[in-house]
Amino acid sequence: MVATKRKRHGDLAIQAKRRKQNKKDAGSLAKQHDMAKEAEEEGTDCIPGPVSKGKWKNKERVLIFSSRGINFRTRHLMQDLRMLMPHSKADTKMDRKDKLSVINEVCEMKNCNKCIYFEAKKKQDLYMWLSNSPHGPSAKFLVQNIHTLAELKLTGNCLKGSRPLLSFDPAFDESPHYALLKELLIQIFCTPRYHPRSQPFEDHVFTFTILDNRIWFRNFQIIEEDAALVEIGPRFVLNLIKIFQGSFGGPTLYENPHYQSPNMHRHIMRSITAAKYKDRQQVKDVQKLRKKEPMTVLPHDPTADVFATPAEEKPIEIEWVKPEPKVDLKMRKKKVYKRQ
Amino acid sequence: MDTPPASGSDSDSDDSLVTDRELQEAFSRGLLKPGLNVVLEGPKKAANDVTGLKQCLAEFKRDLDWVERLDVTLGPVPEASGSQSTPQDKDQRAVDPEDDFQREMSFYRQAQAAVLAVLPRLHQLKVPTKRPTDYFAEMAKSDQQMQKIRQKLQTKQAAMEKSEKAKQLRALRKYGKKVQTEVLQKRQREKKHMMNAIKKYQKGFSDKLDFLEGDQKPVAQGMKDKAKGQQMKKGPSAKRRYKNQKFGFGGKKKGSKWNTRESYDDVSSFRAKTAHGKGPKKPGKKGLNKRPGKRAREKMKTRTR
Repeated sequence: MVATKRKRHGDLAIQAKRRKQNKKDAGSLAKQHDMAKEAEEEGTDCIPGPVSKGKWKNKERVLIFSSRGINFRTRHLMQDLRMLMPHSKADTKMDRKDKLSVINEVCEMKNCNKCIYFEAKKKQDLYMWLSNSPHGPSAKFLVQNIHTLAELKLTGNCLKGSRPLLSFDPAFDESPHYALLKELLIQIFCTPRYHPRSQPFEDHVFTFTILDNRIWFRNFQIIEEDAALVEIGPRFVLNLIKIFQGSFGGPTLYENPHYQSPNMHRHIMRSITAAKYKDRQQVKDVQKLRKKEPMTVLPHDPTADVFATPAEEKPIEIEWVKPEPKVDLKMRKKKVYKRQ
Repeated sequence: MDTPPASGSDSDSDDSLVTDRELQEAFSRGLLKPGLNVVLEGPKKAANDVTGLKQCLAEFKRDLDWVERLDVTLGPVPEASGSQSTPQDKDQRAVDPEDDFQREMSFYRQAQAAVLAVLPRLHQLKVPTKRPTDYFAEMAKSDQQMQKIRQKLQTKQAAMEKSEKAKQLRALRKYGKKVQTEVLQKRQREKKHMMNAIKKYQKGFSDKLDFLEGDQKPVAQGMKDKAKGQQMKKGPSAKRRYKNQKFGFGGKKKGSKWNTRESYDDVSSFRAKTAHGKGPKKPGKKGLNKRPGKRAREKMKTRTR
């Protein structure tokens, strides 16, 4: 596999063929243009020549794959990342029964030194591992708010495989764990120069920002040299869980105190709604109990009768005759016989 | 009885952090209180191994050229409005993650700052950055996808324009209705004036047929004209106005002639000189050459014969 690669790099003719394959319009017109431009490579700085042999030194390869049980959004995100990063390699889904240390072996087999591994749990939560394969550090993130390239609201476009600019928030330099993450992200996301599948121009920029203790990822297309930008996508938010010293294991270097597992989050939401109901029930129970209690009888206060003066006794009158019935004025209105 | 607990406690002491001997020593010193002493865990502390992190970073770091990495760490471009850069202001302007627009704008500005910083550097290093218009290559999103996006944007714009048009139409209709009612009213007024003028002519109050020549001096024009403004102030003379009021066909006429005490006692229209025949008489045709009656004419005829 490595031998054939070397051969590919050495042969200019096959290089040119590759260039042709890369073109969207495989028309002869485009070919002629390219040939013409290749000829006058020195004069104009429009199109650089084909990737020169031997210049590709930065041999970074990233393995991007996932576990089983991912949903469509995650799958599209993975495919988008593979497309944007020409130095990536794909692999089949890994069974979750296997231990994570198996991934290191897979990386070695594929000759990759970095890895992005997507792990889906409960068909709801997506975790992402970023790791430097043989010995280096690794980090586990919870991924949220995924928007893929295919969304119609993200209107930008870029060359497939062009090298990105990486833009980081100044907050990345403030803490040691963020500094380590920054280095890891740079090494993973930057496309090596003169990579055979890369395209020459700078037309997009990846943005990593720290906000609300999370890392926000955005991808912008550079339209004009005066920094007019349009978003290409994908976009996602990474919530750091832990940083390990080894690849997919090893002692924990850093644990995020602000991280709350999604299970815990859902549990809390449920308990909040349950608590509301419980509170109401409790209040009702207390009220019931209070009603059943005997009323408190206050002791008789002797000083209350001090100013009580009994009224004069009235003569008792007994009525022997039935009093006359009172005339009810309203009854007049209630006519018994109604006129037909 | 003593030995099993001792063995039990021995086995326990392997697991527990504090041995029996240590407990005894602590008790003798008076640190332990009587009762059941349980080892409590302190609050959970998140692991933060700063030295470990730094060491790991130092080992892991690769010294690549900047051209290889193309990374830049910059804050967002300051907003166009209000560019104070005191630390207090920066804290106050901390982005609220819940406010979507503000958040996305801060990301946008961060990207802009990065682009503005990096592009000149790349030009210095002679790295091509701008894609020429005739460079065709495979794009991240397919043509089909871009078509869909364009379609969606177009439909959105069309919908907006439609709603704008509908709003304008509604406003126009409202205005049109107003104008229409005004025009109708104007026409009715003109018709009324015309009918009044015709009736006046028919009844003999005015000889002129000026009204047929159209509105040469309509009220609106008169108002616009400043030269004739003074004339319009005076309007018809007092006599004319009186006559209009009495004999014209506009205004309140119903209760104008009542045989009441007031109208009987009203002697304002009595002119003594005219009543006694001494005022200036209006010479009529008949007055000048009064033709004699039939008998007088016959007498004259017989006399002359």
